[in-house]
Amino acid sequence: MADPAWLEVSLSVDGELAEAVAEVLARFVQGGIVIENEPILENNATNSGSTHQSPALRVYGYLKADEGLDETRLRLEESLWHLGQIQPLPKPIFKHIPEVDWMEAWKQHYHPIEIGARFLILPAWLKPPKNNKRHAIIIEPGMAFGTGTHPSTQLCIELAEKHIKSGDLIMDIGCGSGILSICAAKLGAGKIIAVDKDPLAVSLAQKNAEINNVTPNIEFGVSSIAEILAGDYSFRQAPIVMANILASVLIQLLNEGLRGLVSSEGVLILSGILEAQEPELKDILEEKRMEIEHRRQIDDWVAYAVVKAA
Amino acid sequence: MAKKVKAVVRVQIEAGKASPAPPIGPALAAHGINLMAFCKEYNARTSSRMGDILPAEITIYTDGSFTFVLKSPPAAVLLKKAAGVEKGSSEPNREKVGSVTQEQVREIAEIKMKDLNANDIEGAMRQIEGTALNMGILVGEELPQEVESESDD
Repeated sequence: MADPAWLEVSLSVDGELAEAVAEVLARFVQGGIVIENEPILENNATNSGSTHQSPALRVYGYLKADEGLDETRLRLEESLWHLGQIQPLPKPIFKHIPEVDWMEAWKQHYHPIEIGARFLILPAWLKPPKNNKRHAIIIEPGMAFGTGTHPSTQLCIELAEKHIKSGDLIMDIGCGSGILSICAAKLGAGKIIAVDKDPLAVSLAQKNAEINNVTPNIEFGVSSIAEILAGDYSFRQAPIVMANILASVLIQLLNEGLRGLVSSEGVLILSGILEAQEPELKDILEEKRMEIEHRRQIDDWVAYAVVKAA
Repeated sequence: MAKKVKAVVRVQIEAGKASPAPPIGPALAAHGINLMAFCKEYNARTSSRMGDILPAEITIYTDGSFTFVLKSPPAAVLLKKAAGVEKGSSEPNREKVGSVTQEQVREIAEIKMKDLNANDIEGAMRQIEGTALNMGILVGEELPQEVESESDD
């Protein structure tokens, strides 16, 4: 049993006091403050009939358990006492916690994630549930961008489900963990070209393709789009081209000839766009004679299915 | 199909400095959140604002997925900046550490408006004033000048 390495301090307060309590804690704790609240679910009326708009918040901070701990704790309690003289405050709750490998700890609480209408993303350490009817895709979370939990990946998969037809050729530009190519293969796509400029991403994507038994379908490569346009891969155009990266990179790719990869009736799926970046993207799409056919949004993330303008 | 929200967690940390150590580790690990994914993305999104405290509000769904949005800096941080003080008073009931004008409170209220639970700017200003009071920062009145020991020659 390891010695307690941290002392957790927490207080339950209402919305207005949370800031002041957080400010006091922030003077003493390491790293910053966490404020947790019960979600207020709209459309989910509770029986209490209460319309009280000040939900209970719990403010957390962590003190390092070193030789100065007792004194820090004392000064912290003193500061909270003084704040309590202005407005009543509950007593802080202290809890010792051991040093844990937090990078591993979250895995115990991890659950498979349902994405789109047809996929279940899960890590290698979990088995798909017995009555699972979805395509199970095994991706080691925490390895690279694109573990399926990110809204931009979810949006991309939703659009891919909508557009990919059996036997379609696919291109996955900036493939990251390979999740999109693996989903495409499971949707019955034909050949898939998956490229990324980062060799680490490509080797991870290859590993993930193997785990998910879709290796024969996918042609991997460390490159961008110039090499595809130059004919280094087995095909130069595809009816479905996906790019789930970031707006700035998407713009760069459009300027480098991304449109040229899309066959005449084809669809370009663009994801990784923040809502605020939309005007920029719309400008470049117009300049490149492309039209947005579908737009999807989760929180501040947006994805487009784009076609060539007539 | 809307996903069910399990919890909403707000972390107040320095831009570009998210790491799996406390407070992020213990606060998010219990919800099964991919810590590295969060830290990487938070740091990427905030790297241009190093030095600022930039809260992230993380919405955690029952399926273990999460999303987050960045929020305006905490009112306390903005008040300290406006008052030109390093920290709030340790005895806000007795000792005042600085002062801000009504105008400054209005500016802060405008920055914070979208994140506050206020109906109008006056409501937001009252909340900011409340925070100022709790920190020992006076609003709309000068800090009483302490008698300086040095004298003019």
